[in-house]
Amino acid sequence: MAEDLLEAENVCVGYGRGDIVHGVDVSVSAGRIATIIGPNGAGKSTMIKTIAGVLTRREGSIRIDGREIGGKPASEIARCGVAYVPQEANVFRQLTVTENLQMGSWIEPKEFDARYEKVCALFPILKERAKVRAGNLSGGQRQMVAFGMALMVEPKVLLLDEPSAGLSPAMVEQMFDIIKQVNKTGIAVLMVEQNAMQALKISDHGYVMAAGQVAMSAPASELLDSSEVSELYLGTRQ
Amino acid sequence: MSGQLIINGIVNASLIAPPAIAFSLLFGILRFPNFAIGAYVTVGAFIAYALNVGAGMPMWIAGLGAMAGTAVVVWLSDVLVFKPMRGHTPVTLLVVSIALALIIEHIIRLFYGADVRGFDLPLERPIKFAGLRITGEQIDIIVMTIVIGIAIHLLLQYTRIGKAMRATADNETLAEVRGINTSYVIAFTWFICGALFGLTGVFAGLDLVIEPLVGWYLTIPIFAAAILGGIGSPYGAMLGALLVGLAEELTVLVLPSSYKIGVGFVIIAVLLLIRPHGLLGQPEIKK
Ligand SMILES: Nc1ncnc2c1ncn2[C@@H]1O[C@H](COP(=O)(O)OP(=O)(O)OP(=O)(O)O)[C@@H](O)[C@H]1O
Ligand SMILES: [Mg+2]
Repeated sequence: MAEDLLEAENVCVGYGRGDIVHGVDVSVSAGRIATIIGPNGAGKSTMIKTIAGVLTRREGSIRIDGREIGGKPASEIARCGVAYVPQEANVFRQLTVTENLQMGSWIEPKEFDARYEKVCALFPILKERAKVRAGNLSGGQRQMVAFGMALMVEPKVLLLDEPSAGLSPAMVEQMFDIIKQVNKTGIAVLMVEQNAMQALKISDHGYVMAAGQVAMSAPASELLDSSEVSELYLGTRQ
Repeated sequence: MSGQLIINGIVNASLIAPPAIAFSLLFGILRFPNFAIGAYVTVGAFIAYALNVGAGMPMWIAGLGAMAGTAVVVWLSDVLVFKPMRGHTPVTLLVVSIALALIIEHIIRLFYGADVRGFDLPLERPIKFAGLRITGEQIDIIVMTIVIGIAIHLLLQYTRIGKAMRATADNETLAEVRGINTSYVIAFTWFICGALFGLTGVFAGLDLVIEPLVGWYLTIPIFAAAILGGIGSPYGAMLGALLVGLAEELTVLVLPSSYKIGVGFVIIAVLLLIRPHGLLGQPEIKK
């Protein structure tokens, strides 16, 4: 059996005393998209933060290409090919849009020019607003800066925490198109989404998290067909 | 008469500006007002004194030595005191920084007592024109502060490490996520700020006197300048220093000079009431 590009096994993690995430398994292989859905406070963000190294797992194993990354600081995990876009505070507010993108290519500064053109082709607004401080942008534009920053490297794994939050319905559509486009280049995508229906439609696999555990893990199409899932998580949004 | 006050004010501003910039940069990463800054300035003054008077070195070498030595002391204060305490509340850290200031001050007293000292410099006549006077040292202070202001601007705006400093101050977690080694960036920030405090010690020794409380007297004007400009904003700190420096001198026109020391307090109090984010700082936008 081939190893998946990203494999997290039996991950336990929390903030203070006590765990928030209790033994979660998640995996994505190259060129695939997996989406985590679930109610507020389920621990979705906590799980994805732990893979990115912002939190350190207390138990379990997290591997990229079979290499253990659990326990490494976030800056090293970034160098292992993981690009993470947090749910909140995901831009440098005092820095201009261009400076934000420069921070995106921090680990590969020589690639800046080429990647800048690519990212601006995806999000033309980033070029138009190049000199504006990210803190002065609208929520949707900030989201594009955040995503653009992550694409300034060519990651193996893209971790997206609610990439469509704050976007207009038309932009949501476009954002999912872009995620699909990026994914087609062979990048493994793991995302958390509230727009569960649309996210699952572009996904290969889906996880339902509840109360810090994986309640369901199935191919995305199965989750879309499941009456239980659509009642609980899809119906409310669509 | 008031022409002379403006000159004095500009000299005063030049003394306050570098440490106000440093205080602002440090606040950006620490998120608490570090009251030990006055003690750092005093350390700079005494290292320069030891090198200049004690070891007989020329003033410019003593000045560079003071910057380097103070940078190390200031960095050590992070490694030994503040780093182990990261995550505590700002109030706790503030109290710790006051304690640190007292400890440093008393260590200096242990070696040098409370005597008032000065550098060993050739006596120079002040330059006079149109009834105004300014000393050669004061001109040096003004020129060096302008150079430092430009250098810090270039560092923050155009260099890789400078951008990383701003990014880390803005959002440390995100900086780390983008692959920036933030502990290194923070240590570098402490060093740069330490050098600025050391230089201020040298300036204070040139323009005022050298004694264990010399930096302490500057603490309030430095805070006032940083708050006036918008805490965490280095450019604001430069503007704030100019305004506080002038305000302190110009109050002499309307109040006895013994009230000068209160000017910083008044500026802080008024600002916190009417514009807490300062002149150039950005108000926190809540999502
Ligand atoms: N920084 C933190 N410190 C302490 N507890 C936290 C912190 N962040 C989140 N939590 C708690 O952890 C639990 C899971 O939060 P998490 O953000 O992972 O949920 P989520 O599934 O992403 O929810 P949402 O859909 O609202 O984003 C919640 O109970 C939350 O209160
Ligand atoms: Mg979340």
